[in-house]
Amino acid sequence: MPLKAVIISNGIEGLEQLYRSNEEIHYDIVEVDENFNPNLDPYDILIAPNGTDHIALYRIKEKILQFLDQGKTLFCFDGWFTNWVPGNRWVMDNSKKTIDVRYKIQEDPFGLSRHFSVDDLTFSHGISGWWSCGFIEPAENASVLIEDTWGRALVVIDDTTTNGTMILSASGPLADVSYGTTDDNKAYQAMTDLYKAILQFVQTSKVETA
Amino acid sequence: MSLKIGMIFNGVWSHYAFAKATKYRDLYELIYVHDLSQEMLDKVDALVIPFQSNHKAIAKKKELIYAFLKSGKKMFVEGDSSANWLDATWEDRPVNNYWWVKDPNNPPVSETDYNHPIYQGLKPRHAFWHYHGVYTKVPDHASIIQKNIDGDIVSWETNHYGGTLFATTLDPIVEHGVQQITHLDNYCDKLTDWLVGVKPEGRFEILHEDYGVSA
Repeated sequence: MPLKAVIISNGIEGLEQLYRSNEEIHYDIVEVDENFNPNLDPYDILIAPNGTDHIALYRIKEKILQFLDQGKTLFCFDGWFTNWVPGNRWVMDNSKKTIDVRYKIQEDPFGLSRHFSVDDLTFSHGISGWWSCGFIEPAENASVLIEDTWGRALVVIDDTTTNGTMILSASGPLADVSYGTTDDNKAYQAMTDLYKAILQFVQTSKVETA
Repeated sequence: MSLKIGMIFNGVWSHYAFAKATKYRDLYELIYVHDLSQEMLDKVDALVIPFQSNHKAIAKKKELIYAFLKSGKKMFVEGDSSANWLDATWEDRPVNNYWWVKDPNNPPVSETDYNHPIYQGLKPRHAFWHYHGVYTKVPDHASIIQKNIDGDIVSWETNHYGGTLFATTLDPIVEHGVQQITHLDNYCDKLTDWLVGVKPEGRFEILHEDYGVSA
């Protein structure tokens, strides 16, 4: 059975190009409007992509918590300035120079780093710090997959705060296809490889739970 | 009472980061697009609509937007989509984020009207960083402010609707919120001055307590 994912759309140009249904996963897109109150019951994964409406998601945060407590999965690949992601906080920051940013694997209990190159993710056309923004203050027992030069969390996997799993990036876009944020082949490959590794992890977890 | 610029935003963090930065927070007022009302617009003196906006939601309230313009006020739109509420046609183009590494003395904009108040005194690299698509059709009454090296329109302006509408495929507000391009104070300060006659001062400081907030 393919995973079923719902992508929350903010009406931004191009989103439908980025996530492609296949044998492993089926995507539906739900657009935010003035009466936003999506039915999350049919889905295994809730995706908040780059460019998400964090006012809208804050307004349904109780529903998202219930979704997670059913053992389901949240992807947030954006900067959630509102407090709707349980236990984890994203903070914008401009105190460091992007030229000094390097991405590193911090801990990898699920073996995801075998499937992507963190060094390739660091640079796009020789420019570092292009992929992520700010950092995550992770929940106490969450796992930090990727950190930056200064040890700040950029990709977090949290399967302890709720009954479900949260996979969060510090506004680093992840999808089946590039967000147009890079046309550097290595950086693009690293992004899509990381996303595939995450999907595989979710699929495996689902099989083990069943 | 100081003049205010309304920023129509759709919950995108870069819009929020810009409007909450210490340098701009007293000048910009966030207006959530799905709550947009006449009462909210009555409280502001100019409007900005940033890149990555929800143009479908804006289109539902276009009467409010054009009434705002009709009252003689200014509006700055970072047009990034097929915004069907504008009398113009937008098309996507590849984004070149790295020309400044490969060929820093040749920004890929070929023509800029430096007599426009936003652009007066800006250096070419401050007037342009990258653009998100182009306008392939603009109203007959529009003045062209910037074109790319292929002759496509990047920025245009018109006074036809009462006030002044400035539309561009540049994204100064979003990129300044992202804080990865370090010179955007130049453009955004000129923009703010043009909108309400105030030149912002101080640093673009981000306050930790503005994040993880209730909405």
